[in-house]
Amino acid sequence: MEPSRAAEPAEFLTGRRKFHLFGLTIDECIKVFFGGNAVVSVVVLALITIFLFKEGFGFFGLNQQSLRVYRQAGLEYVDIIRAQQDDHTALTRYLSDLRLRQFNYFTQQQHLAPAEANQRLAGFDEFADRFGGAVGPIRGLVSDLTETVTAIKDKFTNTENRKEERRQLLAEGRTADAAKVEITAVDFAAELKPLLATRPAYVEANAEFARQLSAVIASAPAMPIPDLQARMDRFKQLTGEYLAGFPAVEQKLKTWDYTRPVPWYQTVTSFILGRDWVTASFWQDWYGVIPLFIGSLMVSVVALFFAVPLGVGAAIYINQIATPLEQKLIKPAIEFISAFPSVVLGFFGVAVLGQALRALSQQPSLAWVPGFPFSERLNILTAGCLLALLAVPTIFTLAEDALNNVPRSFKEASFALGANRLQTIVKIIMPASLSGIISAVLLGLGRVIGETMVVLLCAGNRIAIPDFTAGLAVITQPVHTMTGIIAQEMGEVVRGSIHYRALFVVGLVLFFLSLLINYVAQRIVRRYRISIG
Amino acid sequence: MVTAATLMETRSPAPNLRPTMPAAATGQPAGTAAPAAEVLIDIDHLDFFYGASQALYDVSLRLDTRKVTAFIGPSGCGKSTLLRCLNRMNDLIDGTRVAKGSIKIRGVDINRPDVDVIELRKRVGMVFQKSNPFPKSIYENITYGLRLQGATTKARLDEVVEKSLRGAALWEEVKDRLHTSGLGLSGGQQQRLCIARAIAVEPEIILMDEPCSALDPLATAKVEELIHELKTKFTIIIVTHNMQQAARCSDKTAFFYIGRLIEYADTQQIFMNPSNPQTEAYVSGRFG
Amino acid sequence: MAALVNPHIFQTRPSAARRWERACFGLFGAATYLVLFCGAAVFLTIVAKGSRTIFKAEAPFINTTFFTDAPESLYVFEWQGKKLEMGDREHRAFIEQHPDAAKVKTESYIYAAGGIFPCIVGTVLLVVGSMTIALVLGVCAAVYLNEYARDGAFIRFVRLAILNLAGVPSIVFGLFGFGMFVIFFGWNVSLLSGWFTLAFMVLPVIITASEESLKAVPKGFREGSLALGATKWQTIRKNVLPYALPGILTSSILGIARVAGETAPIMFTAAYVVRDKLPWQVEKFSDFFFQGVMALPYHIYVVSSKIPQNEYTERVQYGTALVFLLIVAVIATASILLRNNLRNRYKW
Ligand SMILES: Nc1ncnc2c1ncn2[C@@H]1O[C@H](COP(=O)(O)OP(=O)(O)OP(=O)(O)O)[C@@H](O)[C@H]1O
Ligand SMILES: [Mg+2]
Repeated sequence: MEPSRAAEPAEFLTGRRKFHLFGLTIDECIKVFFGGNAVVSVVVLALITIFLFKEGFGFFGLNQQSLRVYRQAGLEYVDIIRAQQDDHTALTRYLSDLRLRQFNYFTQQQHLAPAEANQRLAGFDEFADRFGGAVGPIRGLVSDLTETVTAIKDKFTNTENRKEERRQLLAEGRTADAAKVEITAVDFAAELKPLLATRPAYVEANAEFARQLSAVIASAPAMPIPDLQARMDRFKQLTGEYLAGFPAVEQKLKTWDYTRPVPWYQTVTSFILGRDWVTASFWQDWYGVIPLFIGSLMVSVVALFFAVPLGVGAAIYINQIATPLEQKLIKPAIEFISAFPSVVLGFFGVAVLGQALRALSQQPSLAWVPGFPFSERLNILTAGCLLALLAVPTIFTLAEDALNNVPRSFKEASFALGANRLQTIVKIIMPASLSGIISAVLLGLGRVIGETMVVLLCAGNRIAIPDFTAGLAVITQPVHTMTGIIAQEMGEVVRGSIHYRALFVVGLVLFFLSLLINYVAQRIVRRYRISIG
Repeated sequence: MVTAATLMETRSPAPNLRPTMPAAATGQPAGTAAPAAEVLIDIDHLDFFYGASQALYDVSLRLDTRKVTAFIGPSGCGKSTLLRCLNRMNDLIDGTRVAKGSIKIRGVDINRPDVDVIELRKRVGMVFQKSNPFPKSIYENITYGLRLQGATTKARLDEVVEKSLRGAALWEEVKDRLHTSGLGLSGGQQQRLCIARAIAVEPEIILMDEPCSALDPLATAKVEELIHELKTKFTIIIVTHNMQQAARCSDKTAFFYIGRLIEYADTQQIFMNPSNPQTEAYVSGRFG
Repeated sequence: MAALVNPHIFQTRPSAARRWERACFGLFGAATYLVLFCGAAVFLTIVAKGSRTIFKAEAPFINTTFFTDAPESLYVFEWQGKKLEMGDREHRAFIEQHPDAAKVKTESYIYAAGGIFPCIVGTVLLVVGSMTIALVLGVCAAVYLNEYARDGAFIRFVRLAILNLAGVPSIVFGLFGFGMFVIFFGWNVSLLSGWFTLAFMVLPVIITASEESLKAVPKGFREGSLALGATKWQTIRKNVLPYALPGILTSSILGIARVAGETAPIMFTAAYVVRDKLPWQVEKFSDFFFQGVMALPYHIYVVSSKIPQNEYTERVQYGTALVFLLIVAVIATASILLRNNLRNRYKW
């Protein structure tokens, strides 16, 4: 042994041999470099969240302001009357439906010529016309009032613009110019006087309207068959209910008060529970997420309806039943499907699938399927089918993993007890991997709900809550979705406007929805891992 | 077969010969190092914690140069923990700390903040319970440590590879396949490869944590033989559950029980005539 | 023969359980093959119709102009009893030669002629830039989280957050990129905005996947190396990263496929509907980063939603879709193959 060894005991105290940079050794520098990258990543990802919040939260203030103006300028007042008018329109639509049914009855069951059928319907037409015409005075009133209140609102908007102008001038330091900007505060009380003054006229018109309707209803023509008569009776009943609602409307108008404050929570509820998404309207913009949310949900439900059985079924097949050759070929093939860019699938929907499904629905032999035939090429069903194709690989891969993780011993034990393969799968493997499969389905849902291009191209983009009274046929209606609306409208909005912020709030909803889905999926998986160990 | 002793003789200018410190700086004159039984490692009233749970209680132990010391004791008694304290591998585990006491190697407290752990580990090599060759070739496995220290000339590397492999009694078996993967060897060969890898950097101390636990009797015998040869050059600490092994290859034995050092004496004495009843119970196989 | 006459006790007998098993397995198989059929239907339709655009009957068999030209409007008109189809430039030249042609009733279809060269270029630029950013940040962050960071509550929270962010819809990242880079930073619709938006979209995926690969490297490799006196960085560089690299590579190729395939995040951060100049035709060097580009996925969106479907427009629609599908599919296939390959190779 070299004696030198014993002579250098302080070998480990090597602080001074090292190269230093800013007082750090090289190793520490490297650590700082990696740490720096981690910090940047984390900070940016945190920024995303913060930014979404920052831009989103402004919405609620602006929306409250908008709702306040809606009330102060009297738009709300007019909308009360307009609602009455709209309900009447709905009733006339019921009548036209009834007419169509009668017409069909005459031409198809009684084999009358169309002209003759129309002749038979003359009495009904006269009745329908009288019913439809009765609303005339009310409609006139509404259109007059609409002009009045729009003028008030415009005035207010102008004032606001002036204020903004002055603020900007002040910010630029041009005080003199700023002082020149005239601002006349809108005196809502005075402006609304003429509006409120029309109430007696309205009450009068309303009474006349009610009288006419009652008279018309009393002279309703009889229907040719009991089936249609039942509908007519239903119509009468509906009209009765409609008339019974008149006093309430009058009461509402009487107690309507433009000074009543808009509570703060209303700005939130009007978003979360709002049933209208109307933008760039001359009248009033509404930002209600419900139609979009329901659209997203419907599309996802349809997609999962197809994707879950297919994905899970395929996973079971590949994992438990298929031959090794099938396994080797099919697994990558299904994974390959997951590489289809969604915009290509969307294009496929527009170019091929939409038409194909419509053509299929118009096959007479398939008329029994609910919703068939349909005429809208792009609808929930088209988008749902394509999204199913996107979701299947996700669900398949994760479910297959879950099945794979079931310990072999479980399976062997079951076989050893004389169970056949199906029994083993159903009684042992499925329950053991259930949580994995559930989380696979959840992640599939996350994928589908966040998908943009397919729904943007194929869901039909009609902003309306689909008509659930149609039963299952609802899936053949077009909808708009949360992702779709952002993609469609983001490019056109003014920065910082209420519309811009509303889209951010929709983004926030999506953000939290996906976080929630992901989190729940992970929780389920973790629970399951512990239970096995 | 070339033994470690010959290996040592052939080693002229020591590669890691570092500039000699002035004797004054070391606090002890170079000449006083006793030729035999020089105290190399001095563990002094050591308390060690994993987070809140204490793993070692007041362990004091002095280990001599070029001796084989065996750590024995029932599972979970802290043998590995103490071993890993010696080259500070426990630093890798979050929340570990030496709460009290010190470990001195050549008189330097290795837990001092200014100690360079890397330097320490170069001098205190380790062989793990589960053989862990890197998924590289045998050659690269052995030269790994040297290359880290900057040795790059092929001649020098070749030389060290051969020496180390001979030292680990593996040369004959693998000399024709030096450039195939180390993972392709059998379990026993892998373990000897790990030993070769450890001695290639010429540490002073080699820590072995149950090096034979995964090996068959034949491979075990080879490793033991190897330990025997290595001890002429290195100070070896070996953890083992195999009483015969401890008896066969160690000079001194330390018996641990639930984190405490119960008895530390010459191997002969521990196995023939233990002073502590617990030790006796353990070595005679009545518990553990 | 005796066995046939005299069934032994283990003789297979038809039973209800067996019939059930057969029926259910049939259903599972049907589900599998239905999925494959649907996938194949989409793929083959696009291949069949698209290859009419990108291949042609005579040598060199590939429609090179489709790959090298910019999109143009297509003009269709009748001229001397023949139906002529011309791209924009050709049509203008034709009118100069035959001034009468200007008076003929001409139908025009925007984007239906020419090629998609600028879109390919734009997509490549977007992918390269964003993946560079994402890989550097992502891999380094993963190394830090897995190798250096002490496992505390905060790190666990960060990990969980990153994992969850991986599932956030791409459109939300697009929204963020639009608000942050396009508007707040004032970069407008530009390459730079697109790069960062896409990079941050795949960042969580890359960090998570890289960490997985780093975790898969056995602890013994690190301990063995450290016990030989390697520094932390030496250990990571020589004994951890090389073994984690295949996994990181696979995930990053998947990341590339995702970045290349996404439309939503670039719709309002980086993509132009049409742009005459190619990205390198800029006046100042810095302009390069602040220009919008055309991109394949966005081009597909534009041609499938903004122009009518007919025999003239179909060509560019299917052609673009096919080219894009092939690019993304090749990348994805590469990563699937790579992964399967590595899964077999690295087992320790
Ligand atoms: N990483 C760790 N974190 C917390 N506690 C640990 C850790 N490693 C070991 N311990 C605890 O420290 C004590 C001593 O463990 P150690 O591994 O040193 O035992 P050992 O004597 O080597 O046992 P064996 O013979 O089974 O290897 C045990 O109680 C163990 O549970
Ligand atoms: Mg141990």
